[in-house]
Amino acid sequence: MEYYSPTDLKEAYALLGRYGASAIPVAGSTFFMGHREELFDEVEAVVDIKRLGLSYLRLEGGRLKIGATTTLAGIQKSELTARGVFRIFADTVSELNIKEVRNMATIGGEVCIAGEVDMPTTLLAYDADIVIGSSKGTRVLSMQKFHRGYLNNALETGEIVIEVQVPQPRNGTGGGFGKFERTAADLPIVNACVRMALGKNGVADEVAIAVGAATAAGVPVRVAAAEKAVTGKKVDDALIAEAAEAAGAIDCVDDFRASARLRSRWVRCAVEDAMKKAVAHARTGD
Amino acid sequence: MTTETTVVGKSLPLIDGYEKVTGKLKYAGDLPALQRMHHAKVLRSPYAHARIKHLDTGRAEALDGVSAVLTYRDPIIGTKRTCGQVWTDPSFNFRGPLISDEVCFVGDEVAAVSAVDEDTAKEALRLIDVDFEELPAVFDMEEAMKPGAPRVRPWGKNYLDSSLFAWGDIEQGFKKADYIIENRTTMGNQQHAPLDRNACIAHWDSEQHLTIWTSTQALFWLRDAICEFFELSPRQVRVHSTPTGGSFGLWWANNFMFIARALARKARRPVRFSLTRDEVQTTVKRRERPITDIRLGVKKDGTLVAQSHRHLLDNGAYGNKFDPYQSVADLYTTEHGRTEFIGVSTNLLTAGCMRGVGDLTLAFAIEQAIDLAAEKVNMDPVEFRLKNVWKTGDILHTSQEVVFAKLMFNKEPEIRLTSSGMHECLRKGAELIGWKDKWKGWNEPSAVDGSRRRGVGCALSTHISGLPFFGYNGIVIKVNSDGTMALTTGIGRMGQGGDTTQAMVAAEVLGVKLEDINVIDGDSEVCPHTMVTYGSNGMHMVARATRAAAEDAKRQILDLAADALEANAEDLEIRDRRIFVKGSPDTGIGLKELMSKPIYEYLASPEIIGRASQGVDFTKSGKMMIADFCEAEVDTRTCQVKIVKFVAVHDSGTIVNPAVCENQVAGGMYQSLGFCFTEHLVFDDETGAILNPNFMDYKLVGPMDMPDPIIHFVQVYDQDGPFGAKGIGEGVTCAVPAAVAAAVRNAIGVWINPPITPDKVMAALHRG
Amino acid sequence: MKAITLNINGEKCRVQARPHWSLAYTIREKVGLTGTKTGCEMGTCGSCTVLLDGQPIFSCLKMAVDAEGHEITTIEGLEKDGKLHPLQQAFIEDHGMQCGFCTPGMIVAGRALLDENPRPSEQQVREAIAGHLCRCGTYARIVRSILHAAEMSQNR
Ligand SMILES: Cc1cc2nc3c(=O)[nH]c(=O)nc-3n(C[C@H](O)[C@H](O)[C@H](O)COP(=O)(O)OP(=O)(O)OC[C@H]3O[C@@H](n4cnc5c(N)ncnc54)[C@H](O)[C@@H]3O)c2cc1C
Ligand code: FES
Ligand code: FES
Repeated sequence: MEYYSPTDLKEAYALLGRYGASAIPVAGSTFFMGHREELFDEVEAVVDIKRLGLSYLRLEGGRLKIGATTTLAGIQKSELTARGVFRIFADTVSELNIKEVRNMATIGGEVCIAGEVDMPTTLLAYDADIVIGSSKGTRVLSMQKFHRGYLNNALETGEIVIEVQVPQPRNGTGGGFGKFERTAADLPIVNACVRMALGKNGVADEVAIAVGAATAAGVPVRVAAAEKAVTGKKVDDALIAEAAEAAGAIDCVDDFRASARLRSRWVRCAVEDAMKKAVAHARTGD
Repeated sequence: MTTETTVVGKSLPLIDGYEKVTGKLKYAGDLPALQRMHHAKVLRSPYAHARIKHLDTGRAEALDGVSAVLTYRDPIIGTKRTCGQVWTDPSFNFRGPLISDEVCFVGDEVAAVSAVDEDTAKEALRLIDVDFEELPAVFDMEEAMKPGAPRVRPWGKNYLDSSLFAWGDIEQGFKKADYIIENRTTMGNQQHAPLDRNACIAHWDSEQHLTIWTSTQALFWLRDAICEFFELSPRQVRVHSTPTGGSFGLWWANNFMFIARALARKARRPVRFSLTRDEVQTTVKRRERPITDIRLGVKKDGTLVAQSHRHLLDNGAYGNKFDPYQSVADLYTTEHGRTEFIGVSTNLLTAGCMRGVGDLTLAFAIEQAIDLAAEKVNMDPVEFRLKNVWKTGDILHTSQEVVFAKLMFNKEPEIRLTSSGMHECLRKGAELIGWKDKWKGWNEPSAVDGSRRRGVGCALSTHISGLPFFGYNGIVIKVNSDGTMALTTGIGRMGQGGDTTQAMVAAEVLGVKLEDINVIDGDSEVCPHTMVTYGSNGMHMVARATRAAAEDAKRQILDLAADALEANAEDLEIRDRRIFVKGSPDTGIGLKELMSKPIYEYLASPEIIGRASQGVDFTKSGKMMIADFCEAEVDTRTCQVKIVKFVAVHDSGTIVNPAVCENQVAGGMYQSLGFCFTEHLVFDDETGAILNPNFMDYKLVGPMDMPDPIIHFVQVYDQDGPFGAKGIGEGVTCAVPAAVAAAVRNAIGVWINPPITPDKVMAALHRG
Repeated sequence: MKAITLNINGEKCRVQARPHWSLAYTIREKVGLTGTKTGCEMGTCGSCTVLLDGQPIFSCLKMAVDAEGHEITTIEGLEKDGKLHPLQQAFIEDHGMQCGFCTPGMIVAGRALLDENPRPSEQQVREAIAGHLCRCGTYARIVRSILHAAEMSQNR
């Protein structure tokens, strides 16, 4: 097995092209190294993508652009996520209680795993786009289309994620995140992110609800029924409960960590928690 | 009776603290490589029960860098000799045959390889061709006991003869009762899960002599087990036990150490076998899972008149346990009683002693039944316990000393409880948790706030402070020419601070400072025999020898000083590194001066060696007392449980080092809270494989999960323990689960067996 | 095998490493600094924590070949000229350990915290070690030790 640490994208693409399916791009390596026993058998080349200049956050043309190798700690500490409409990204990161992992794990890694992680749920609720690059050029896919399942995504051989883009939500948008886990340092068993634009009189003008880690596929899903239950209505506790109930109807996975029935209850709870936080955030805008 | 002390009773720092905070302390996995050393890896069974049909190691052996491949075909001496025997075989949870053609649980050893490095050894494993013929397996204890059940392993029955204790007339007893309580409990599968992964280096330094380095709490057990198993003399085996990175009963004599030894023999070079986290979690052992049936007879006024317990323990594939430390069975003194323990084999990971063995699982069952009895007569659970719990002087019907006196000498001595501060523990605990305000009666939570309900619970337990039949304790104390000392002991070091507290006992007797004493440990050639460090024996039993050795040295020092001071030895006292005449502190001599002063007859300065090697009188083994109180909050919406407050009150006699003991109590609480909620090895129903072989899914509690315990020591002086001390290390886990379950019961009205998962809470609260 | 140079505690160490070797493994087995422990090798215990350019990371999750060019600090780098770091002093005095296996990781994480925030609250201390396990259950005294060390450093 060879290790490469290219310093520009072209070089990286060339390496990925050369080794094809037997190359693996590695970013924060927190997942890769944790699973090296299973992975290193099949891999001939490890292409480290941390030195490609893909570590940044910037607001550009009404979009928050996050470089693929930006660490979760980097997202958390950025001015751009300290307050306002993008604060949810810092909030999402703080759900991962392990500082050492936040210092290493990247948003690109989170997006590619997509299973029992937190950030993709938020990205889905915020209608993020994934920018994919390869020697053939770049293409953009919505978060919705990017995911196919746990560790299974729309990337073709030779392609990597180079950036994540989040459209700036309209003013008055609040975000909230809810998470259920077994101990404080745990992967999510269920999580939920709510994006809500509150209009006059507390009416929800726009609502997005994403639920993660709960379904059999593992990837986050948007819950249209729950979104519909709230949109255009005045938000109060009863309405929140109604939306949460609707979200709980999604098909949950059953395993030794939690039964499907418990997950479905936690989906309701997580959506409820996230929505309350989103409302509070929307009200203060802070 | 208490005496003035200058060292005992102080939270002095650990004597190996410096090594620990600088990373200099060497656990087995940290030892430097020996010349020519190779590395071992093991091929493991994917089946719960199977016979090897075909095994070809040719390609593995041919791989460059491979030095040995070990399979059942190798002539390994000893194989089955020790398997049938219980107890006389000290390492009673090893595999039996080192390696065989029949594998009995998922993860069982199939073949072992040594190679120039771990990568090569792993590659060699992939080159071994093996075919299995699957055999019927059984995972459930009660299934395994049925006639016609599949045989778990190639020898012995699926369950061991029960150990039965009976006193009074049980049938009469129940007739006298106004109510009879019957209850069944079970618990989950806990893993010791020490943080260190452990390693073993085996080296034949000649054809005839083997040296082993490994982390173990059982220096002499390991040596003796190796001698017995491989038919070697103690003369031929030297074991170096390094401190363990936590053990909790896991690192005694384990099969992986034996494999290292056999590979080193075959490869003719030193071999190191380092376990992976998965191997630690799924191939060594776990706590026995219990199923316990309890029957209690109680009178209307709350007097217990009869009790019977039947405790099944799942031994897994190779466990051999048939009687846990029966202390708890005597916790409530009744005229009539019956207690039965049955060890059952299953095709699951071997089970064996884990911190609080037996007394934890049995206390869980008994304490729940006690609550049910208290509820039946509508008594406050604290009052009910105060009324019925044992007292100093009560007869211990189920003590292991009785079993062994019977086994070894065919005698049945009467053994009584030497000291108990249990009543005081209960009262103090009730006060610290705020029982008076929080206990609102049966079926009445202590507080309700929206979806959150709080409850309180209490539970008692006890545990041994060592078992005399684990042998003699030898201690040597050498006094250096400058008055400093070296104390040699075979005590295990697994975080319980035993080296520090033994040195404290010696320092107290010898009137020196703790830092004056070096402790030499972990070498079976150098150290005198010391009991395996388990069963909380260090302070209560081993330290008796330490104290005696120190007194021996002191006597010699005083004799010397008597000559130097022209005084009577009886009139001398030693304190602050100085020997002086009682009552006139100015007439004296410094220890350093005394030790460096030449003696005229010999034209040389003296060396003093104090020593003791002694057994422990079995009628004088004390038990520790534990009263735990828990306040829990159940959120009926999320079905999660939060521990709000936890109070642990212990009577371990005199507390020799309060900080060490507080850490022990806190650690026991965290481990058992883990067991209550998130620590549960999950076996696949179909295959018997463990589904959560690592910390990603076997969740230990972390620094954010639980409150710090409130700890109090009731220090009842034990006449037989050194300076009045009893044991502490294991009992700290025992009462926790019962207290937690009781608090949850008080909050939501339902008893839930650990692990108390959100799933079970949900099932209890929300139907459909 | 790739020849790499690791800068550990200010010393340049040249070693050969394979890509799948973790920094933790390499530091322990090839450089010979065994103060960094490896309880789980998958990011779930914290015992392998080292500082990479001052930031705490789990060295079991870092490829050794990827650690070149960074300043690595291990537990061995805390004692300076025979003088213990206040954290080490405090852990000894306050019994912030039992078996000691988690101790190096806890102390290194504590060092990163105090460098960034010299007077942390108890909650902040707990957050800083949230990914660290202590199977001996010494959390109360570990937290106390770190708080005490903060105090000691201030008073110096
Ligand atoms: C103990 C522990 C607990 C954790 N808890 C949480 C949690 O609660 N919530 C949470 O959100 N996360 C959590 N994580 C982090 C998460 O599980 C992953 O480890 C992390 O998201 C991976 O990021 P990385 O940059 O390190 O990925 P890497 O390990 O570098 O890569 C992961 C995978 O993605 C691929 N990949 C990475 N980047 C790219 C890219 N740009 N283009 C194409 N492919 C790429 C790699 O090939 C690899 O297959 C936890 C991790 C650990 C170890
Ligand atoms: S060994 Fe790195 S976190 Fe456990
Ligand atoms: S002191 Fe043993 S793991 Fe923390």
